[in-house]
Amino acid sequence: MTVLHAVEEAMLVASLVMILVAGALLLYRIWYGPSMLDRAVALDVAAALIIAGIAVKAAHDGDSFYFPVMLVLAFLGFTGSVGIARFIAVRDRPSVRADGKEDHR
Amino acid sequence: MRAWAEAADLAGVVLLFLGCLQCLLGVIGMLRLPDVLSRSHAATKPQTLGILLVLAGVALRLRHGIDLGTLALIVFFQFLTSPVASHLVARSAYRTGQTGSRGLLRDDLDPQLSDGERQGE
Repeated sequence: MTVLHAVEEAMLVASLVMILVAGALLLYRIWYGPSMLDRAVALDVAAALIIAGIAVKAAHDGDSFYFPVMLVLAFLGFTGSVGIARFIAVRDRPSVRADGKEDHR
Repeated sequence: MRAWAEAADLAGVVLLFLGCLQCLLGVIGMLRLPDVLSRSHAATKPQTLGILLVLAGVALRLRHGIDLGTLALIVFFQFLTSPVASHLVARSAYRTGQTGSRGLLRDDLDPQLSDGERQGE
């Protein structure tokens, strides 16, 4: 039984390390993202990673204290990227599209 | 009964591990793919399958009624809101012309938008 607990502990720590590495890699995309839309997508993924990290902590400790935080993040995490896509990204639109044609919209 | 509890704990840990692996692979895809639309494709892996696996693992480890309800609500709201954000980002990327340097292989939206504008004029 102790061996089983040790294996579970190791897998939980490995899960948390993978979440942290994913967040660190995501910071690169947020920092160097060529356009604001890349940053908006990365912001959505960051909210999902925060939810997953809190879930790993809850599974490790066996408590449900931070579940309302996860609920609010799942409910409101998309507002930032919607705001960026709706109001900021339209402001710096190029007049010539990628295939060379004039943009008529 | 105790054997069932230990089996549920182990299955929960395995699901957590798979979900976190899915998150990491999705983020690696976000780093390596070239444009906004394909990065958005990679971003859906942590948002849907990763969250679903992780929260199923937590539900298998906690096993209380109220916690299960909260976790189901989290999955429901995540699945409800992430397509909205993804749709708006992809629409904004199309309308600002950020669909990649090679262009689109198939563009069904362009004639529809052009026809709509012509009817409006």
